[in-house]
Amino acid sequence: MSVRDIVVALLLFGAVAVELACALALFVVKDSFDRLHFLGPAATLGPLLVVTALVVENSLSTNGVKAILTGGLLLLTGPIVTHATARAARVRQFGHWEPLPFEEVDRD
Amino acid sequence: MNVWLIAATVLLLSLLPCGLVCYGRNSSPIDRLISFELASAIDTLVFLLLAQGFGRDVYFDLALALALLSLAGGLVFSHFMERWV
Repeated sequence: MSVRDIVVALLLFGAVAVELACALALFVVKDSFDRLHFLGPAATLGPLLVVTALVVENSLSTNGVKAILTGGLLLLTGPIVTHATARAARVRQFGHWEPLPFEEVDRD
Repeated sequence: MNVWLIAATVLLLSLLPCGLVCYGRNSSPIDRLISFELASAIDTLVFLLLAQGFGRDVYFDLALALALLSLAGGLVFSHFMERWV
């Protein structure tokens, strides 16, 4: 077993642990807005670790570049989808997206 | 069975909590959408791992397509969840 194999195994272990933890937290937590927090690491940290493992294994071959593209796409789009979902949840709950009267907004 | 396939298999287990939230009796539509989005991210990673594990280059395209389509799906669902669903 080479050093590269060990690094790949560690990276994959980290990625799987992050995804499993996020999925379990999604199940345990009951509030929708709290649940949204667990989309973040699942769509950023997990893909980052998997793509790093793939690049370590394949270097910058065709597969490595495709993995980077896929991971980059997940990194870029994850926060966008999370924000859109939070917006939808708030509009469903309050009927609008604007802050409520008792919510302090720092406009500076 | 190599390390990639083992990781993909274990990662598939994390779809189970997503399914439980999705089909849970007390889950709201937003909760179901959140679990769908998490499942999309996990599925993309599973496709990447399976492509490497089976040594089939063409499977990487599937992960790339899913990453693109999950953005569109998530945005469309959240748009309709705002008012109409």
